[in-house]
Amino acid sequence: MNSSDQPGDISRRSFLLTSGELLSAAWVAAQWPSIAAAAHHAEQADVAAGAEAAPRLQFFSAADAVDVAAVCQQIVPSGATAGAREAHAIYFIDRSLSSYFSALAPDYRAGLEEFQGRFRSGSKIASFGAASSEEQIAFLSTVDQTPFFESTRMLTVLGMLASPKYGGNYLGAGWKMLGFADQHAFAPPFGYYDREYTGFVPYPAKP
Amino acid sequence: MAGRTFKPSETVDFVVVGSGAAGGVIARELSQAGFSVVVLEQGPRLGPGDFEHDELKYSYLSGITCDPKLSPQTFREDASQVARRPALGNSLVYARIVGGSSAHFTGNFWRFHENDFNERSLLGPIAGTGFADWPISYQELEPYYTKVEWDVGVSGLADASPFDPPRTKGYPMPPLPVKSSGALLEKGARKLGLHAFPAPMAIASQFYRGRPGCAHCGFCIGFGCEVMAKSTTLYTMIPEAEATGRCEIRSHSYVHQVALDKQGRATGVHYFDQHARDQFQKAKAVVLAANGAETPRLLLNSTSARFPQGLGNSSGAVGKYLMFNQSSQVHAQFEHELNEYKSVQVTRILHDFYDADPKRGFYGGGGIDARMGPQPVGWALTSGGELPRWGAEYKQRLEGFARSMVATGHCTSLAMETNNVTIDPDLKDAWGIPALRVTYKDHPDDFATAKFLQDRALEIMQAAGAQKTWRGGRRVSRGSVHLLGTCRMGNDPKSSVVDKYHRAHDVRNLFICDGSSFVTSGRGQPTETIQALAFRAADHIGQFAKRNEI
Repeated sequence: MNSSDQPGDISRRSFLLTSGELLSAAWVAAQWPSIAAAAHHAEQADVAAGAEAAPRLQFFSAADAVDVAAVCQQIVPSGATAGAREAHAIYFIDRSLSSYFSALAPDYRAGLEEFQGRFRSGSKIASFGAASSEEQIAFLSTVDQTPFFESTRMLTVLGMLASPKYGGNYLGAGWKMLGFADQHAFAPPFGYYDREYTGFVPYPAKP
Repeated sequence: MAGRTFKPSETVDFVVVGSGAAGGVIARELSQAGFSVVVLEQGPRLGPGDFEHDELKYSYLSGITCDPKLSPQTFREDASQVARRPALGNSLVYARIVGGSSAHFTGNFWRFHENDFNERSLLGPIAGTGFADWPISYQELEPYYTKVEWDVGVSGLADASPFDPPRTKGYPMPPLPVKSSGALLEKGARKLGLHAFPAPMAIASQFYRGRPGCAHCGFCIGFGCEVMAKSTTLYTMIPEAEATGRCEIRSHSYVHQVALDKQGRATGVHYFDQHARDQFQKAKAVVLAANGAETPRLLLNSTSARFPQGLGNSSGAVGKYLMFNQSSQVHAQFEHELNEYKSVQVTRILHDFYDADPKRGFYGGGGIDARMGPQPVGWALTSGGELPRWGAEYKQRLEGFARSMVATGHCTSLAMETNNVTIDPDLKDAWGIPALRVTYKDHPDDFATAKFLQDRALEIMQAAGAQKTWRGGRRVSRGSVHLLGTCRMGNDPKSSVVDKYHRAHDVRNLFICDGSSFVTSGRGQPTETIQALAFRAADHIGQFAKRNEI
């Protein structure tokens, strides 16, 4: 880690202050619990449990979680159907890197730091998570071949489409987006084209 | 379910290493023939209630396959490279449970065609390869293919394909209900004058031999069957072997060495039990059916003064000629929903391009099938080809999941000495046994065959009326679930490991039968042939034993 990245470092603090960027990493870190709770609350308006149920981060710092969640959201954006945010992909990633994918964690953390450093060196905005969507997309286009991006892509998809018991795919949001139903039995017809199939007609003879 | 048990100190007639596609068949056949049999399986025994719809666990966390943390492997493209452990998972993937990889297979049960066995004679040599004829013919194997279809249980429609090899009997069950992908493949193929037909699948389409028909849950490929419709040895051969009262399936038993006496006869096998205690099972004869990766590894790790290069390896062929089966994909999206995530992977295939044709300028051939492709996560990660891999366009493609299908080309892979399984000089597994090292580089003709079938699949999908089609990426092999050729059969002890009856050329009471016995790769669906070989091997081994010729 470069000394200028140390928390409390004068030059970095000066930069943050002079950049006029309110949504700094430090600010986000301080505000994370309420951001998370608000997001959680917004995504399950029909769930009475409300804000206090926001999962606790285990692997990421709050600031890192904001950055990674922003990357996830650009990989699978929200729209008419759920994106990474509604599926809670960030919670899946946080949990996976602190448990069954812990072998990937050291490289992932190093990759994230490199990603953040590269973003900061080319932007006036303090963190990737605080940048506009347009700026995020432009930056991601320059790093989407890196191992960090590849890992984040894999983890985002897992966080959207793996079983909800792992902390992502919240309320099956990813499966709904895809049009997939997890059932233990189906009966034919399965789709449009087999419904209209009229039966196998044998071929006349060997060609 | 448990049958008779034996003490390791009891000398049984046969110890069989591996309980998968081949081991399960051999155990059933030999125990039904009156012999005492102990089957040693390195993994646990699971039942239908243990299997889950959990893609993360099964596809990314080695749910029922070898855990790379405990059983690591290394990979390199050629001998000039230092082999390294892959970042995620192992190169050679096989299920580590009773039933072996037959418990998690897709169930595509294609017979080989007649020319698979004598293609070298038909086409001539191919420089730089180990392209060779088999020492047996299709006609010799045909009765055993029929036995697989009836005893293990295959659904299909006989003679539906004009290219089918001759058969003495039809299938015992009708084909599984057609899916939209199958209907579309057939529609496109018929427009082009091709011949798609109902896929033969080792999945019960109706109640059969005590097992229910498929519930169409969609979790076949890489998963265990929750309703026992999949015709894995776990649900078919193994219970029947146990019912004889002469066969024990001993799970959590990891064999690491075959023992020899001074006369060069196998005396049994050393294995680690569930508590990592070293045990020794005595047997009059040893049958290895541990798959095309573990069988050669076991032989190469069983060195002795007599066999310093590994047991049964006087030819030097143990571990060599590894073949994976190349493949290619065409993705297609249609106007209406297909819902391919429902039911079995494949309901229609075509064999119009099965034969190699020298006019194409390369060796190879194969089949094309219509399928759903991987489960949601795998599909979302791998089915894009050159299309955008993130962002709004990527999301749009994901939203088209239910309207999408894959037409897959299943291809030959040429046998090459330089593609092989060896023992890693440095790495050991969690039990202290030297780990497996894979060296593999696709032959240019394997890629050419894959591309040829991809071109044909693209034409078929367009003829079927796809709104959008795109090619899957070129797949440079880094591993496989098809583990073939590593103890090839042949008449010449100098160039092959087992004879035409699966007896090791070097050790009279050692038999080897699994994917390692293959001489050529077939066209991408090896399991029915593995099982036909196993029925045939067991038939001959039983006769040898009765005649006291072991």
